[in-house]
Parts: sequence; C-alpha cells; structure tokens
Amino acid sequence: MSPTLKSLLVSLLIIATFTACGPDTLYDLSGDTFQLRNSDSTQVNFPGDFKGDISLVTFIYTNCPDVCPVITANMTNIQRALDDTSGVNFIEISFDPKRDSPSTLKEYRDLYELNEQFTMLTSHPNDSDVLLDKLDIVAEKAIIDSLGHDSTNYAMRHSNTLYLMDRDGYIRTEYPAHRVTPEHVKDDINYLRSE
Amino acid sequence: MKSITHFLLILLSGCLLFFGCSSESNSSNESDSKKEVVLGKIALDNAWARPGSQQGKSAAYLRISNGTASTDTLLSFSSNAAESVELHKSIENDDGTTSMQPADEQVIPSGEKLHIEPGGLHLMLTNLKRDMAVGDSLQITLEFARAGTVTTTAPVQIQN
Repeated sequence: MSPTLKSLLVSLLIIATFTACGPDTLYDLSGDTFQLRNSDSTQVNFPGDFKGDISLVTFIYTNCPDVCPVITANMTNIQRALDDTSGVNFIEISFDPKRDSPSTLKEYRDLYELNEQFTMLTSHPNDSDVLLDKLDIVAEKAIIDSLGHDSTNYAMRHSNTLYLMDRDGYIRTEYPAHRVTPEHVKDDINYLRSE
Repeated sequence: MKSITHFLLILLSGCLLFFGCSSESNSSNESDSKKEVVLGKIALDNAWARPGSQQGKSAAYLRISNGTASTDTLLSFSSNAAESVELHKSIENDDGTTSMQPADEQVIPSGEKLHIEPGGLHLMLTNLKRDMAVGDSLQITLEFARAGTVTTTAPVQIQN
C-alpha cells in the first residue's frame, strides 16, 4: 500500500470515527441510573426521572460563597430568558455530599428563591464520585484553614460546567456555567425542542 | 457745559465702578459663605451581600473609590453580621476549574477604584451571626492605612 493511500485511509478513518460519535453527544447517560437525593429527601433516579424533558445540569456546593451562587444566578437568568420553560428542568447537583444534606440544599433553594423547576440533588457521601467521574467533573477539597483546626472548613477546586441533556439522557453540549450567555443556551434548547 | 459733561461722565463711571465692584464683591461673599473645603475621601458604593444562614457563609461585594490625594491600602474588614470577614479571590485555573484563595493586600492608588465583585474579589463572611434573607441588610466596615475606618450598609439580595 502506497504511503499516500495509507494516509488517505487513516484520514478517512479519523473522519468516520468523529462523525460516528457525533460532536453533539458528549456523554451517554441513557442507560445509566444514579440514585441521588432530592432537597425534600426523596430518592431520585438520575437521569431516568428526567427523561422526556430537556435538562440543564450543573454542579455546585453550598459552602461556596462566590462562584457557585454566580452559577445559580446564571441558571435563573437562563430560565428568565426562555419564552417557554415548560419541559425544561434546571438541575443542580452537589459535589460536596458530606456537607450538603437534603436539608442544606433546601435551605439553599429557599435562600435563593428557586422555583419548582429547580431540582437540587445530592448523593450518598460515598456514591458521588461515580457520577462525577462519568461526567468528568472535578471537585477536590482545597483547605483554606491553613492550621487545619477545622476539617469541615474547606473550600473546593471545582469544574465550572453546565451540561445540556436531551430528552433521552444524552449530554449534548457543555458551557462555562458561570458565564455562558442565556441567549446562547436558549438557542440550543430551542434546537433540541425542534428535534 | 463741557466741564459739566466731563463731570457727569466721571461720576457715572465712578458709580458703575463702585456698584460693579460692589456687586462682584457681594456675589463673592455669597459664594464664600457657601464654600466648604471638600477633603478627598474613600467612598464605598454598590454594596450588597448574598443571603446566608446563621453560622453559614455569605459573600459581600462593593466598589471602593479612592478620592484622596494619596495611595491607600486596605488593611482589614469586619461586619456586624459575621464573626469573620476575609478578602478572597476566585481564580480560574488552567484546566478550567475554579478555586478560591485569600487575596493579596489591596493597594488603591489615588483616583482609582477597586471592584469587589462576583467571580473575582469578594468579602467572604463566615460564621454568620444570624440568618440573612433578601430584604435584610448588614454593615461592612473596612479599615484603610491612611483613611481609617469606613462603613457602609449592604442590602441582602440575589444576584441577577
């Protein structure tokens, strides 16, 4: 086989691979079930319980004083930007389940006056890594209390990701959660609605 | 006749000069009485804080304008609503993650502003003394090396 033909075949193979995967499916959660807890302490099967709807999914921790509330604010801005919010879920999942119990999440949703379209989820402390790993979400403790006096007083280095999940449990695109413009997300939601 | 005309002209000029000066002098006195020496100052505005629960955390934001003739340095922070206030900075790392770290000492040159705003510098309030809900307010006190302490009131609100 000539080198030219070999290069051509390799190029075609690469193109075929990318085309098959599709740039619009980042993660396939359609066959997965992650058992999470809602802010009212009920169990939620993620993403199964949200199938049939379009979902915006992001990750926060409630002890985060600055960036996570910015993410939450952006979620509400996206909600406000939509002409029609029916069939759209706004899901925030804690990556700090040791501190974020369902009642803590309820406090957060009350403080930030999030309406019923918002779902605040946490996991059992030992289970959270499975979902985070699957979605490439980074969340690591970064101790600020340099003296180490209080092991519960920590901040976290974390991803800033907002995922758009379609009705079938496929993550179709991602955004920088704290600064994506609502209009951008709105266009993508409308695109998924038209499918 | 000519000398009378000269006399009248001189008299008129004198009157104009007198009343003109007198009038100017009056207005000068008026403005003198209104004048006050405005010293340059450190001004705080656009202050607000996020909601939070008792013993929990919150963040406060504001803009500092150094209207003095000298550079000033922000030394310390306190609030009547929290046991501890620290200046922190959210940073974006090369891998796209975000983390937070204590901010360096903030030096504000004369005439400059320091923006303490979401996603960047923020005053982190820890161990809140009470619940802080939308509609509440708290006091934030900043101490500067030259200007001393400056206090402002921050309403609790949700970021839009």
